[in-house]
Amino acid sequence: MKKIEAIIKPFKLDEVKDALNDMGIKGMTISEVKGYGRQKGHKEIYRGAEYIVDFIPKVKIEIIVEAAMVEAVVNRIRETANTGKIGDGKIFVLPVEEVIRVRTGETGKEAI
Amino acid sequence: MVDVELRAKRDALEYLWRQGLSGQTLLHRHSQLIDDYLVSCFSNCPEAGEGISLVALGGYGRKELFPYSDIDLLLLHTPEAENRLGAVSQALFYPLWDAGLEVGHGVRTPDACLADARQDFFFQVALLDARHLAGSPQLFTTMHQAFHRELIAGHRRDFLQNMMQHRNERHQRYGRHSYQLEPHIKESRGGFRDIQAMLWVSHALFGLQEMDNIEEAGLISIQEKETFIQARDFLIKIRNRLHYLSGRKNDQLFFEYQEEMAKAFRYSDTQGTLGVERFMQDIYRHLQTIATTTDLFFAHVDETLGSPRANQIEQTLEPGITVRQERIHLTDQALIEKRPHLLMRLFAQAGKTGLEIHHRSRKTVTANLHLVDDRLRHSKRMAKAFLDILENAKDVLAVLSVMLDTGLLTAYLPEFTPIHALAQHDVYHVFTVDRHLLQTVAELKKLSLSKTPFAGVESPHVLALAALLHDIGKGHHEEHARRGGELAAGIARRLGLTEAETSCLSFLVEKHLFLSVTALRRDLEDEAFLRQCAEQIQSPERLAMLYLLSIADAKATGPTAWSEWKGALLLEISLKIAHLLERQDLVLPDKSQGAGWMLEQVRALLGKETPVDYGILPEEYLLSFPPAEVAHHLKLRLGLKNENQAIIEAADHPLFWSVLIITHDSTGLLAKICGTLALHGLNVVRAQIFTWEDGTVVDELNVRPAAEQTYAEQDWRALGEDLNLALKNRLGLSHRLVDKFRTALRTPSQKNVQTAPRVVIDNKSSEQYTIIEVFAHDRPGLLYEITRTLADFEINIHRARISSDGDQVVDVFYTLDGFATKINSPTFQEEISNALLHIAESETGTGAKLQW
Repeated sequence: MKKIEAIIKPFKLDEVKDALNDMGIKGMTISEVKGYGRQKGHKEIYRGAEYIVDFIPKVKIEIIVEAAMVEAVVNRIRETANTGKIGDGKIFVLPVEEVIRVRTGETGKEAI
Repeated sequence: MVDVELRAKRDALEYLWRQGLSGQTLLHRHSQLIDDYLVSCFSNCPEAGEGISLVALGGYGRKELFPYSDIDLLLLHTPEAENRLGAVSQALFYPLWDAGLEVGHGVRTPDACLADARQDFFFQVALLDARHLAGSPQLFTTMHQAFHRELIAGHRRDFLQNMMQHRNERHQRYGRHSYQLEPHIKESRGGFRDIQAMLWVSHALFGLQEMDNIEEAGLISIQEKETFIQARDFLIKIRNRLHYLSGRKNDQLFFEYQEEMAKAFRYSDTQGTLGVERFMQDIYRHLQTIATTTDLFFAHVDETLGSPRANQIEQTLEPGITVRQERIHLTDQALIEKRPHLLMRLFAQAGKTGLEIHHRSRKTVTANLHLVDDRLRHSKRMAKAFLDILENAKDVLAVLSVMLDTGLLTAYLPEFTPIHALAQHDVYHVFTVDRHLLQTVAELKKLSLSKTPFAGVESPHVLALAALLHDIGKGHHEEHARRGGELAAGIARRLGLTEAETSCLSFLVEKHLFLSVTALRRDLEDEAFLRQCAEQIQSPERLAMLYLLSIADAKATGPTAWSEWKGALLLEISLKIAHLLERQDLVLPDKSQGAGWMLEQVRALLGKETPVDYGILPEEYLLSFPPAEVAHHLKLRLGLKNENQAIIEAADHPLFWSVLIITHDSTGLLAKICGTLALHGLNVVRAQIFTWEDGTVVDELNVRPAAEQTYAEQDWRALGEDLNLALKNRLGLSHRLVDKFRTALRTPSQKNVQTAPRVVIDNKSSEQYTIIEVFAHDRPGLLYEITRTLADFEINIHRARISSDGDQVVDVFYTLDGFATKINSPTFQEEISNALLHIAESETGTGAKLQW
């Protein structure tokens, strides 16, 4: 089992979610995150006043899938979240030791 | 085995409840059942003889025992009976515990009772409801009389103050967000504790025990009593069911129970509203009834009994409205009938002075609502007072809340009626729709006082009205924003707003979700889309209003609706649209307004002594810097002596370093700058390039060091010297760059090539400039070569945006050709494109200069 974490642009969330649903992935954890990466923040000036936003708003999607599905899922996220511009995001794949469903105690594949 | 019997009896009671036994009858039956049981236990206990008395306290004492409420008991005893207490409490309390009941118990002598009651206000209040159950009656009577004699009589004012203080603290504690969504029908504002607080005070202070007595004594009116009893009876039924449904002592109407309860009370879904929403609407209305009635009751009693306020002098604010003891009063019923707009003036005065409206005047308002007819709703005086409140009231939330509670707001704006106390069944909207609207007005007020972008709009009254009305279309099956826009337009006309104001208001209400939704769902890099937004919004003023409304709305929705994260997105889209609205692409009537204002600021900063020709400053330049920086640039400019000199200033910022360069325009200037910066190990991440009418160039570049080094370690002096050499054409940038990056360039790129380099020449997006976009893989010196190539074509770069993310760069140049016109010729475009692609595709830089 693997955990896939994708950091994407906020407006791409719905598309990525739909794409994953189409692949049969229904469960995911979604959070609003702040990126402090290479892209960094920016200073804006409007009517003589400066506004600095020191982070870039991003959305993080976390899903657990069987190892066999990783490639397909990653590709799907890449295709969907790609705009060709800076800040499209990153995808991480991490090993997962065990998954346990709290209510039933099921483990492994059944608990995903 | 007694507990089995008790259990069976309580099961039987639940059965009766299911058969329809409800309300107060159930509470009495339950109390009776426990009474019978305890009395029989007590009489069967041989030790429970002389000197011991069993007393019921609290809700049980009042015979108001809800299905799972605590059973509060007091075992009163003489000191002599102490050795028998163990056996008695074992016989009484153990079976109750075994039956799963929650028992609050105390074992005290009469003296200890009084001592404890002096210390603990809650116990003191519990003793008010004390009821003798079994055992020695004298013991009970002695304690009870001593309690009233020593703790209540002569301490009436303290009792009242204590009660009011606890009530306020409780309202604060249970007024938090989570309790708005899932009201606690015992402790929340308007819950059972408020009912009880009123009854306790009536009992302790005036010896009045029933609602009828309280009304007869003139403490509340007949109408108040009737709606109050209605509300109380409704809440009793709710609480009974809630206990049975939860199977425990639970008084909070959690989300999961709301739907089930709504169904049980036969609230079904209709078009546009859910049954559960109308059910909750009734709950909120009843809680509000109790809250308002008890507020007025306490205000009245406090005035009658409380310490007299210092300022006894009466001050007339206007005919019919006075201030007395720091409360605002309506004084003349006849005048109200003659000039009914006084009702609104009362609130305007409250807003202006920040003082509360006296409780009797609040009742006067409610009693005179029939005067608010269609004519008054069209009255200019009414509208003026009303808009004045929205815009200027010191505590606008407090004033509007009282206006809502008295019924004046819904009478004046009948469109408010369907959303009054309307709940939205989700975890997102914490307040009912009406409260949310009032809250939005208050949040808006806070924003206007803070340092928010776009603060300070020209028609604050229109914006405040939009805040108050933005959700007015809810509770209907149509799309609420559109319906709201129509309703708002009607209200605006009735209030006598101008056509322009009306259309602005209607626009704001209809589009109040536009920015928040768009910021989350659309690509903020999509220029074409942003342009559409700008066309829809039309003016910077409207954008500012929409921006402020979006924030106030989100903040007033609940703790999850607003975050710094959303704020960043909202600011980004708004600034992007603002720049489009203010700058070249959309021709707007007030386009130069911003620049004119900037000029005034700069003039004021520099004073008359500095000889400056302000005409040379282009508008776009003026809108890109704070006034102080413009003034600074102008001063630096005075120091420029000859043609090929440059003044350089660097500054440290948390995210980047900025380099300001002031010099005279010359061909290939940007290339020389970029080349020199690259030579000194600095990557350009953004460039703003401005040329004044007199040929002065002001470039502001944001740079980051290629290597790990601090701002202080960077040799800025050497950079300045090299740049001045380069400007005098005394520095061979090309070969120096090759030398510097020899090792870096020899190493072939390890990165996966994902997108081929691309050059886009765009004449559509900007009316004034040809936009050249270069997408390429980054390498040292790339920007130098691109800009140098453009210089070779005699192309002038007026603005540039350089973004790099690792090995990818997107460079956007706003350009004009050597004749200061757009690059229109297709063959020339192709030539430029090919030249740039050649550079972008090369892994090691242009072959001609790299012969190794």
